[in-house]
Amino acid sequence: MTVLTTHTAPVPPGLAIAPQLPELLLPVKIRRGIVGFLRNHPTVAIGGALLLCLVLVGIFAPYLGTVDPTAIAPARRTRAPSAEFWFGTDLLGRDIYSRVLYGARVSLTVGLSVALLASLAGLAIGLVSGFLRRADTILMRFMDGLMSIPPILLAIALMALTRGSVGNVILAITIAEIPRVSRLVRGVVLSLREQPYVDAAVASGTRAPMIILRHILPNTLAPMLVQATYVCASAMIVESILSFIGAGTPPTIPSWGNIMAEGRALWQIKPYIVFFPAAFLSATVLAVNLVGDGLRDAFDPRMAKSL
Amino acid sequence: MDRRTVLKGLAGAGSLAATGGLSMPALSQGAAARTLRFVPQANLANFDPIWGTQYVVRNAAALVWDTLYGFDANLQPQRQMVEAEEVSDDGLVWTFRLRPGLKFHDGEPVRAKDVVASLTRWSARDPMGLMLKAIQNELTAVDDRTFKWALKKPYPKMLLALGKNSTPCAFIMPERIAQTDPFKQINEYVGSGPMKFVKAEWVPGAKSVFEKFADYAPRQEKASWLAGGKQMLVDRIEWVVIPDPATAAAALQNGEVDWWENPIADLAPVLRKNRNINVDIADPLGNVGSFRMNHLHQPFNDVRARRAVLTALSQEDYMRALVGDDTSLWKPLPGFFTPDTPLYNEEGGEILKGKRDFAAAKKLLAESGYTDQPVSCIVAQDQPITKAQGDVTADLLKRMGMNVDFVATDWGTVGSRRAQKSPAGQGGWEMFHTWHAGADCINPAVYIAIRGSGDKAWFGWPNSPAVEKEVTAWFEAKSLDEEKAAARRLNKAALEDVIYAPTGFFLSYTAWRKNVSGIAKGPLPFFWGVSKTA
Amino acid sequence: MVSYILRRVLATLPVMAIVALFVFSLLYIAPGDPAAVIAGDQASPADVERIRQSLGLDRPFLVQFGSWLWLILHGDLGTSIFTNLPVTSLIAQRIEPTLSLMTITLVLTIFIAVPLGVVAAWKAGSWVDRAIMAFAVSAFSLPVFVVGYILAYVFALELEWFPVQGYTPLAEGFWPWLENLILPAVALGCVYIALIARITRASMLEVLQQDYIRTARAKGLGQRNILFIHALKNAAVPIITVIGIGVALLIGGAVVTESVFAIPGLGRLTVDAILRRDYPVIQGIVLLFSFLYVLVNLVVDLTYTLVDPRIRY
Repeated sequence: MTVLTTHTAPVPPGLAIAPQLPELLLPVKIRRGIVGFLRNHPTVAIGGALLLCLVLVGIFAPYLGTVDPTAIAPARRTRAPSAEFWFGTDLLGRDIYSRVLYGARVSLTVGLSVALLASLAGLAIGLVSGFLRRADTILMRFMDGLMSIPPILLAIALMALTRGSVGNVILAITIAEIPRVSRLVRGVVLSLREQPYVDAAVASGTRAPMIILRHILPNTLAPMLVQATYVCASAMIVESILSFIGAGTPPTIPSWGNIMAEGRALWQIKPYIVFFPAAFLSATVLAVNLVGDGLRDAFDPRMAKSL
Repeated sequence: MDRRTVLKGLAGAGSLAATGGLSMPALSQGAAARTLRFVPQANLANFDPIWGTQYVVRNAAALVWDTLYGFDANLQPQRQMVEAEEVSDDGLVWTFRLRPGLKFHDGEPVRAKDVVASLTRWSARDPMGLMLKAIQNELTAVDDRTFKWALKKPYPKMLLALGKNSTPCAFIMPERIAQTDPFKQINEYVGSGPMKFVKAEWVPGAKSVFEKFADYAPRQEKASWLAGGKQMLVDRIEWVVIPDPATAAAALQNGEVDWWENPIADLAPVLRKNRNINVDIADPLGNVGSFRMNHLHQPFNDVRARRAVLTALSQEDYMRALVGDDTSLWKPLPGFFTPDTPLYNEEGGEILKGKRDFAAAKKLLAESGYTDQPVSCIVAQDQPITKAQGDVTADLLKRMGMNVDFVATDWGTVGSRRAQKSPAGQGGWEMFHTWHAGADCINPAVYIAIRGSGDKAWFGWPNSPAVEKEVTAWFEAKSLDEEKAAARRLNKAALEDVIYAPTGFFLSYTAWRKNVSGIAKGPLPFFWGVSKTA
Repeated sequence: MVSYILRRVLATLPVMAIVALFVFSLLYIAPGDPAAVIAGDQASPADVERIRQSLGLDRPFLVQFGSWLWLILHGDLGTSIFTNLPVTSLIAQRIEPTLSLMTITLVLTIFIAVPLGVVAAWKAGSWVDRAIMAFAVSAFSLPVFVVGYILAYVFALELEWFPVQGYTPLAEGFWPWLENLILPAVALGCVYIALIARITRASMLEVLQQDYIRTARAKGLGQRNILFIHALKNAAVPIITVIGIGVALLIGGAVVTESVFAIPGLGRLTVDAILRRDYPVIQGIVLLFSFLYVLVNLVVDLTYTLVDPRIRY
């Protein structure tokens, strides 16, 4: 009878013990937690760090050596960068450095708000549309229609209806971005709907809202998060384009977009008016894109096909 | 030959070979010298100078239609299409005879009945025309070359009305076109001016093309603004709309256009530096910046609040914001009439001169009963002049301690909102900005914005019997000295009642390539006498 | 297949109806009507009201909407308030430049971005890959007009290789037409290139890991053959999807590019019309855009069948 003993049994004398096996597979250091995640995915780390810097710049703008960004002084307009005006002055004599730093607030607010609002609305619409077949056709046709209305038209109309403001810019861009997000969510839901566990849930009598909440929603979060970062980046660029045609934020509220728009006629002779906000804008968009790319690669590289 | 021409030549040869001779350069060298490419101040989207009163429409219309009289460089109306005029002793009947040989572009001669129809349409829209219509007995054609205007009361400013260059001008059109309702657009653009409008090549908002009218019979005198002989020295004029100033500057530097009507002041140094470009003041009559307040509602219904604004307002700030560091481009304007014109005076203008006194302004404001209610300022963002003024005003009022509600919108909205007489909370307004061409501020006849006739006045509806009294006095003045006296009293009254706040007098540049000659200064771009060498 | 196409075309009608109603309502509510702009500075409120009446703007909403719909059903998009020309002829005048710009941009971006993405996927993980992806991301980061200005300055003003502005119709020669469009197309295409390169790379990456690629390699097929014929065809579906979505981006970016380079296209017409409240033009153009967009989606869906025989309708 083979006695199965544990190693706690005393070793009989004279029994040869096999030598230790060499360590062929070094133990993998499992990095856990956020820090570990960041070290595994340097793109997210770099992008995130850059983004965080810019957000902090926006928040702490009053303490970073700035003056009132709306104080005009036409006597000293369009001065080149100097010790007193680090980025120079704009067409009304306002300090560009202060305007760019305060402008970070507006541009980041627009980007993040649009990302948040478009994601929420798109999520709701995509979930309903993906799961309920009857609603699908109607909703998707509606989304098609929405996508074909130029956001510029929306923005100008909103501006004319009330006034130029950050809220109107956010609203106009959000409405234009919702269809994209909802399509994405719908696609995910459509593919998830065929999964066996969903069938099982349906079979066991779970109601639709519960299924959506419990099973479908968690799986949409990852691609949606990635898409949200792209929406954020695109929104910041669209905001600058709206300022270009004059439908953006009013000049009393500096944003990178309207600083560039005001200085664009002079960019050949006084390029600093356009250069500094453009540099900040592209740094931010770059950061957001890096975060998005990194997150996408982290969650599921195959996601890249659909984004 | 520059690099582009070489490349173009090579590519042209290449594609010639490839496509079997399809591509051809659009114009040969000789033809190019007879085409003038011009960048106008704004879009030319429509082309009826009576129906649409924008300056750019009038500028283009001056090429295609002719007028009975025209202002010369001294602001005096001179005969243009008219050969002789006669007014009866009691001043009630004006008889005019047209020059011989005047033809329309379709070959028909210009007849008196065409003039009658045109003047009827014009007088339905023009302020001076409306005055004439009100006292009109009859306007008839006596024969093919003579027409008569019989009035109930004398109107000494008749020639001024017919020859003025403020919109709408009294352009003469064929009868069938002039019979269009004055509130509807014409759609045939036939006139008797020195150029024909090529409708087939018109891309509204992008390009307009004019061709020389061979049968135009210019007067013998030298051309001076809208008077004298309009000799065309180019065969073809193309108006190219370039909305972006940086691109227009680059196009002028590159030689892709020949004449830019309105370069922004900041770009003038770059253009001057270019060996091939001339830059000069466009119009000695310049522009007057305007900040209009709503006299119907609080806070500006109280004259003290309005005078508080004048006390604090710094015309230098406004002008620098508009035209930059070039001091030759602006003048302070302690009054309402255009500098260097006969009626200019500074009576009552001390309030705008000297160091700005914010303490006094705040005191006046408090006296007027202002208690921190929001003051809405509608500012059009798509017009650089109003946008710049709006920014300065927001700052000014903030420093005066007012609660500013800055409404950033577009010119279309301003246009309709300023017509609302309701208070700001119900879709109205408290202040907006605009500007007037200097040519429109030379005397009370053309100067709608200076009137204080209450409900009938211009937007803001200032009510000033003192101003109206002086306007009447000016109309009835028999000599230039009497006119000047009336103007002085008018200026003072207008500043006391603050009809509007003048933000300053500013000039603008025009720029052209050195191979173009004959460009004259004036309130609109004059194309006669302009020639181009290759 | 034919029935599928028919069904899709029919499905465009409700879309366009929704868009039409939405835009019409928006314009009706928005303040600032064209009558005030037309009447000009010197007009009295009575004049403005007369103009409004002659334009039919004082009629109730449903009447105006109804009469506009009636015109549309007869193929008439109405008459522009400002230029007095039929909207159809205005659009016909301006559509060639915009279509040309978009076509050149599409061609340019596809021929640049797809090979870039393929190469990046092939050399995944190497410096080539990182460089290409970095370029793609940075091209996406600058607004179109900044890129446009820089290109115009460097290539048109300084080097004088291309004209600064304007548009030459194709009828006047192929090269003049092309040279006016190259700089705007590059400016407009930057964003697009970034998007397409990314998607191409991701899609190719997945395909390159498949077994049949390994088989092809084992069979001894050349690298280019594998990449561009076998792999790309299988990776094509998502790429084509993105191209379709990107057309909407192009329409938006065309507005700015047309303003910067003074191209007389539909984008500028739209902005000018909006700022002047030229209602018939705005409505006509938005309707056209929505039709074009739906058409593009349909073409994209049909192209799937070409590339992937498994997809059938």
